[in-house]
Amino acid sequence: MSGADGFEVEFVDRSERSARFLVRGLTPALANGVRRAIVADVPTFSIEHLRVVENSSVMFDEMIGLRLGLVPLTTPLDDFELGDTVTIALDVEGPATAYSGDIQTSDDLVRPADDDVPIIQLKENQRLELEAEAVLESGKTHAKQQGGVAVGYRHLQQTVVAGDRDEFEDDDGPQIVRGVIEEGAPEATDDDVAEGDLVLTDSFGNDLRERYPGKEVDVEDIPGAFVFHVESDGSFSVEELVLRAAESIGSRAVELRETVAV
Amino acid sequence: MELLVIDKTDEELRMEVAGEDHTFMNVLKGALLKTDGVAAATYDVNPEQSGGQTEPVLSVRTEDEVDPLDAVESAAERVEQLTDEFADAFRAAADA
Amino acid sequence: MMVPVRCFTCGSVVSRHWEEFRERTREGDEDPGTVLDELGVERHCCRRMLVSHRDLVDVVAPYQ
Repeated sequence: MSGADGFEVEFVDRSERSARFLVRGLTPALANGVRRAIVADVPTFSIEHLRVVENSSVMFDEMIGLRLGLVPLTTPLDDFELGDTVTIALDVEGPATAYSGDIQTSDDLVRPADDDVPIIQLKENQRLELEAEAVLESGKTHAKQQGGVAVGYRHLQQTVVAGDRDEFEDDDGPQIVRGVIEEGAPEATDDDVAEGDLVLTDSFGNDLRERYPGKEVDVEDIPGAFVFHVESDGSFSVEELVLRAAESIGSRAVELRETVAV
Repeated sequence: MELLVIDKTDEELRMEVAGEDHTFMNVLKGALLKTDGVAAATYDVNPEQSGGQTEPVLSVRTEDEVDPLDAVESAAERVEQLTDEFADAFRAAADA
Repeated sequence: MMVPVRCFTCGSVVSRHWEEFRERTREGDEDPGTVLDELGVERHCCRRMLVSHRDLVDVVAPYQ
């Protein structure tokens, strides 16, 4: 599936909760397997059951439950197993807004990833008091258990200058590409990139006409090279998310191998 | 992962792989097709609405006297190796 | 009623930007597009969540 030299990974763009990275040597099957595993197989904690003590807010218990479920909780996967629960409490009295930061948890390792998610705005004499269970489940059970947000990949594309543009030709608008390109014609650009450098299409407004003025440019997919875009909801880092996804596919391969071998 | 062999001859295998979906089956199929002695490999997952068989069914046909179960075993080993290699390459790039 | 916690389409947590967005565009007079750029709300699926939202808690409060 990969060449003798294995995989090559390179980060193009990276911040705390999002990353864009290039992988060379992947088959489409494995690329899609990793993507699917990121979305559906890496579990996160999410609030599942509520015991409402008092809810005199303008929203029904169910609506509060939905909102609480969508709040991302930090998930230390080394310390918990699928199906484990953590008890959570929330008690806010109006006039005030209940934020995710007001959520108390029974385990310091599991807490809201962001403190500033508004749950419900409470007026004078309104109160929300509840206890809840957060459960560790995979994204297959419910979208709120997904650790990845907007996870996807694109083929890495290479630009090749095919010639000069006919200056009397009708203008057929911008030539849009998105993601990352591999520079195949550095001599036709103004900036000092070398051939084979990776360029974010954002840097030239996603329009090849901007980058290669007056040139006719072809775009070709590079086989086996995929640019992943992964964002985390805050449950854990992007790096952990990707590694856990690869591990989840690997562990199933181990299970299959051992079962078949008997 | 529960395996259930539906049909098995010296060079053909049909096997249910319960609890899996496209995520793993497609990777496995890809690895099988690159395995020595495998003539054909595919899998089929029926949608929930179709009733009946909804767990994926893996079909493998081999040649050159390769046992299809052995082929599945070495394909699984290959997937394991690939994901490990991917994880190592990713970790190395992330730590750099 | 309250701003949705996450973007309906991609699942990004957009609600944490709502209060600042409201203050700067509805109470202030900044350009919503620029504010969203500054808040890091990039995708148009997430942007529409904030642009098209109206708080209704104050409207329904007297009836509960």
